[in-house]
Parts: sequence; structure tokens; C-alpha cells
Amino acid sequence: MKNDPSKPARSSRRGFLQAAAAIATTLVAPGIFLYRTGPADASGLDREARWGMLIDTNVLGEADVDACVSACRREHGWQAENGSQTDAQWVRKIRLEEPGSGHRKFLPLMCLHCESPPCVDVCPTGASFKRADGIVLVNKHTCIGCRYCMMACPYKARSFIHENLKDQLPVAPRGKGTVESCTLCVHRIDRDGADAVPACAEAVNQGGRKAILFGNLNDPHSEITRRLRELGGTRLRADMGLNPGIRFQGL
Amino acid sequence: MLRIVILGCVLGILPGALGAVEPAGSRFGNIAIPDPAKPVGSDQCVEPVEIMRRDHMKFLLHQRDETVIDGARDSRYSLVGCMDCHNPASADGKVVRYEDPQHFCAECHAYASVKIDCFECHADRGLNQSQQSRVDTHGPAWRETGSLLTASKIQHRARASDEE
Repeated sequence: MKNDPSKPARSSRRGFLQAAAAIATTLVAPGIFLYRTGPADASGLDREARWGMLIDTNVLGEADVDACVSACRREHGWQAENGSQTDAQWVRKIRLEEPGSGHRKFLPLMCLHCESPPCVDVCPTGASFKRADGIVLVNKHTCIGCRYCMMACPYKARSFIHENLKDQLPVAPRGKGTVESCTLCVHRIDRDGADAVPACAEAVNQGGRKAILFGNLNDPHSEITRRLRELGGTRLRADMGLNPGIRFQGL
Repeated sequence: MLRIVILGCVLGILPGALGAVEPAGSRFGNIAIPDPAKPVGSDQCVEPVEIMRRDHMKFLLHQRDETVIDGARDSRYSLVGCMDCHNPASADGKVVRYEDPQHFCAECHAYASVKIDCFECHADRGLNQSQQSRVDTHGPAWRETGSLLTASKIQHRARASDEE
């Protein structure tokens, strides 16, 4: 056997190529790059961005969270009319109640678009993937419906489609036998970039308030990073080290 | 692969050859020759008819990964774009479904005995007419060239112009 698995020939070759590429990008001449990735891409994707949201639970009431859920449902055409436990649920209404005082808080919980998503780790076909701009999606062309990702997700963010569907919307293809979850309204982001507003944010940001703030976590000057710097934001289950792109205030 | 070859043969060569001789809506023996719906609101497809007949499935297959993984949603070969032109929602709300024999895609696929599963997930009709004016599904590449460029050439050209 020429390819002896005990010898790390492939990995060292890859390492050499990566190092060579890194040198090539930096050493040609000042300001001149052999190869550079960036927002100037033929696609709608900003490779230097990391999209996220900051959800202010101090501002959101129960009616607001209901509005989030129904806005998402309208935008993507998922229904929960039967009330069955197996219905798709891209975003859930979560109620937190303090036992002593009875103080209640409501928040929408959807895919948090982790930096290290466990759903991507476990996917056997690579259908569960993270886009270059940090959005975690299911490529339904390659999803085989094994539902490992649903088991792996600590936020219960993903749903499986059990029934044949009709009247799907052009922006949200959905079909039996595949897993789906919040896409962060990726079709709006590809169209509008940093000016995009996901449907749930649009539903609750009426009248100039910013109950759900969408923005680029990699841009130090964006409003979301400024607010995170000033006021902080909670990562849900930060102990797992997944670094979600969706953060919460007031928890 | 076999499916693509068969589809290419039947869709591309057979109706193409027959169409040259026989007028649309005619019959081959006792089988009606497909006469799929012409585009609405446009007099030209993204490629010449003979290329679309043979290669539309390759364009769509290439396009789908670019869209899902790289977010290219204004591309020339979008399935939504096909449906917007060839099966738009009519003003009276009447919808032609893929299950209907007169659906733009179904007509030839039934003729060629091709089973596709695109429409198990994707919308089999265009956007509402009111939405059509807002969405340019063919994007800048189409407006700019309107001619015979492959998707990769268009992307290459777009990248080059962005870097300038």
C-alpha cells in the first residue's frame, strides 16, 4: 500500500499548501493580493460578515413574541395549525417564570446560528452546514432526513417535515423528509445585506424601537456590536461554548 | 446520469427534430407533441430554446448549490425565474400545478417519462403578479448580456468587474 494511513502525508501537504497560500496573500507587495475574499463577491454572500441578532427581552411582551412567531410563519409558510407535537416550529415562544414572585418573561427561541454548531458536526451528508457569513442552514438537496441534527441541537431549534406539503412559498422551499429551521431570513440578507431586517424583527420593531436588532457581529461599528459592547448580551448555555450568533438581553 | 442522458435525448433531439417539421400542437402517431407554455412578459428565454431543451437540468443543478451555499439569488438560471415567466400566478387566482398535464414543466416530462422531485419542495408557480415587478429574477447578468454566456463566465465577469 502506497497510502499508508499511519503516515500523515496528506495533512502535512495540506498544511504546506495552506501556509503557502497565506504567504502568497500577504507577501506579493503592499496592497496587492494574489487572492482575496471579501464582500465583493458575485454571489449575495458577504464572506467577512457574521450575521446575528440581539433580542431584548426587557422590551418584548407576550404579544410581541406571538407576533414574531406569526410573522415567521407568514414569511416562510410553515404552519402549526393542527397543534401536533411534530409540526414544524422555526421559532418558539418561551415563557420564563420566577417561582417566588411570579414574574414572567417571554422570548422567541429559534436557531441561534452557532459559531461551532453541533448540528453541523453530526450531519452524515454535509447537508447541515454553516455559510461563510455564519448562517447555519440545511441544504435540503442533500438532507436525508436522519434527524441527527435535531438530537444534537441543544436549543431544540430544528423540525422534521412528516407530511407532504402544498403551496410552499418561492423563498422557502420545504418538503417531506427533510429537516428545517430558522434561516435568519437568508433570502432577505442576500438581497439587502446589512440593511436586511428578518421577518421577526420587522414584526416587533414597530415605531422605531429596536426590540430585535439584526446586524453584523464582525463589524466593530455596527449597532449590534456597539450595543453588545455597552450593555452586554447573554449567550444561552454559554457553558457549551457554541458561541451563538443570536444573543439576549434581560435574561 | 442515465436520467439526464435520456432526458437530453428525448427533450432535446426528438421534439427539436420533430418541431422543425411539424407545427406545435401536432401529434406523433396518437401522442400529442408537447407545446409548453411560452414565457409571459418576455419574448426571450435565458438561453436559446434548443440549449434550454437539452441543458436546462444542468443549469438548475449547478444553480441550486450556488444559491443554497453561496447565496446567489439573482442568478440567471433560477427555478423561481422559470416559474415567474412560464407559470405566473394569474390575476384571477387560478394556479396551474405540476400535477396538471398543461403545467410548463409537466408537459414535456410526461411526454419523456421523466420523474422529477423539484416540486415536492419548490413552488410550482410564479410569484403573485403584484410581486413580479419588484423581483428581477434574472438579475444584472441577464440585463447586461442577454446572450449566450454560461453561469461560470458570468460569475467570472462579475468578479473581474468587482475587483476593478
